[in-house]
Amino acid sequence: MRLTVERLSLRYNGRDAVRGVSLDLASGELVAIVGPNGSGKTTLLRGMSRLLKPVAGHVLLDGKEIHAIGARGVARRLAILSQIHAEGADLTVRELVWRGRSPHQGILQRASAPDHKAVARALEATDLHELADRPLASLSGGERQRAWIALALAQQPRVLLLDEPTSFLDVRHQVDVIALLQRLNAGGMTVVAIIHDLALAGRFMQRVIGMRDGRIAFDGPPREVLRPKPLEDVFGIPMTVLEDPESGLPVPLPRYPADASRRPTSAPEGGA
Amino acid sequence: MAGLTAARTGAGGSRSRRPLALACAGVFALAVIGLLTMMFGAVTLSPGEALSGLTDGSDSFSGLVVGQIRYPRFLDAVLVGASLGVAGALLQGVTRNPLGDPTIFGLTAAAGLASATAVVISPQVPQWGIALAAAGGGLGGAGILFVVAYRGAVSPVRLALAGIALSALFGAIIVALLSSSRTFLQTSLGFLAGGLYGADWDDLRSILPYTLPALAAAFALSGRLNVLSLGDDVATGLGVLADRTRLAILAVAGILTAAAVAVAGLVSFVGLLSPHAARYAAGSDNRYLVPASALAGAILVSAADLVAKLLISPSEIPMGIITAAVGAPVLLYLVRFKA
Repeated sequence: MRLTVERLSLRYNGRDAVRGVSLDLASGELVAIVGPNGSGKTTLLRGMSRLLKPVAGHVLLDGKEIHAIGARGVARRLAILSQIHAEGADLTVRELVWRGRSPHQGILQRASAPDHKAVARALEATDLHELADRPLASLSGGERQRAWIALALAQQPRVLLLDEPTSFLDVRHQVDVIALLQRLNAGGMTVVAIIHDLALAGRFMQRVIGMRDGRIAFDGPPREVLRPKPLEDVFGIPMTVLEDPESGLPVPLPRYPADASRRPTSAPEGGA
Repeated sequence: MAGLTAARTGAGGSRSRRPLALACAGVFALAVIGLLTMMFGAVTLSPGEALSGLTDGSDSFSGLVVGQIRYPRFLDAVLVGASLGVAGALLQGVTRNPLGDPTIFGLTAAAGLASATAVVISPQVPQWGIALAAAGGGLGGAGILFVVAYRGAVSPVRLALAGIALSALFGAIIVALLSSSRTFLQTSLGFLAGGLYGADWDDLRSILPYTLPALAAAFALSGRLNVLSLGDDVATGLGVLADRTRLAILAVAGILTAAAVAVAGLVSFVGLLSPHAARYAAGSDNRYLVPASALAGAILVSAADLVAKLLISPSEIPMGIITAAVGAPVLLYLVRFKA
């Protein structure tokens, strides 16, 4: 399923958060979106998923405008996982995941055989079978993140959008989540994730999109775009890019703290 | 039924303890209350007389008492209770506020104002006219609530404040209306406190046409209410349009409240209490909680009506006083220990 963004402009909190972005995501791509806070990453993701109406431009799923497809129709093809999940703490994992079947069910939400299959698969893919009957509130951060991903998987989407799925997780759980995304992607799903950890994005994703001020600053394979110059343009601080000895993939690092330690009295300029 | 299995296996610990057994127990309790209602009143009938009265027709004495007075009044009580229970469950779900209730959110007063106005303007208005006016009032109240409290971000506090304000305003107008027309004073008391004195087949027929569709709509919307409880973004991502669903749910709650008001007047606390009672049995899944609240409300109102009839027999006190006497302490408990 092809997801096309055409000259998309979005407003968020009275601000022009996304300005004329165009993107083409072919079926089965594995994409990271990176960029500083407030660069429009989350707004772009919301715009791509029908959570936000565009000021201008279009988002197309296989050539069809998503606002013409309708909410349930989009929900059967595309799933979005937002960042903060305060709700649903009193549900069990299984109850949460079952709600992902809602776009496929009729008005009475009677469970069908495909529903049972999809829920079982979602629990299996996220390795949650043993935790399925535990309340969400009793799970660790990493387990809870996997439960919400399982909810999205129960939708059986062809496109999965995730807003910072690895934030607030320890390094092992970060890799667990990324590995899960890779497996889903290997099964043909288009996966787009906002990721703050540049090393993670460089090591595991096929394509990295950098955003700044609501526009796309760079877009390409990690080896081509995760270089000091484009990264400095996006994040506004000096960057070094090391090479992972095992894979040869780029590992970007900020240089700013080292410089600051050499010039302890000078005021920081990055935030200006 | 696959959905039931899923919910049961998905329910851990205290969530839903044998929902089917509890549902059967509830239906049985309602049947017992029904039998007692047929037996006791100004004259006492034996269980046999009471049951045969259901089928006798109005030629026999027991047939007349049961078939024309006690049976329709019991059915009215069941429908009023079920409507209020479901309205309360919908409001608590949609506002994520455990104190959600048609009275607190002003829907009862809105429906009451409309039906009181109809009676004052045209004293000979038929029962179906009152029912229609109440429905208009309930829907109007729901609309006002939506506009005042729901534009933009969801705020349970704003909704409760708006509801209390509406409730006070409409309540004051109702009392002003009724007290300015002296002839209604006697019946006004029953209306204001809420009661089923003289409720008959006519009452039932007047509200059935919109109560049954509204109850069906409530059961149909309960799945979306589940999705909505995950937050607006998640709900939208799952294909449930948050604000549109909220408006539909508020409208259904308004209609159900109107049905109860048209027959029983301003009954309070049933909408608050029933979902909390139902939650112990059915858990928080609205697909089970909404029907369970209907059952709990039906039991509560029919039991309260029975007590109201018998407490100072042969006279009777308004049923709403019994529900308030039970409901107010429960509300105090919730405020102190739960909310």
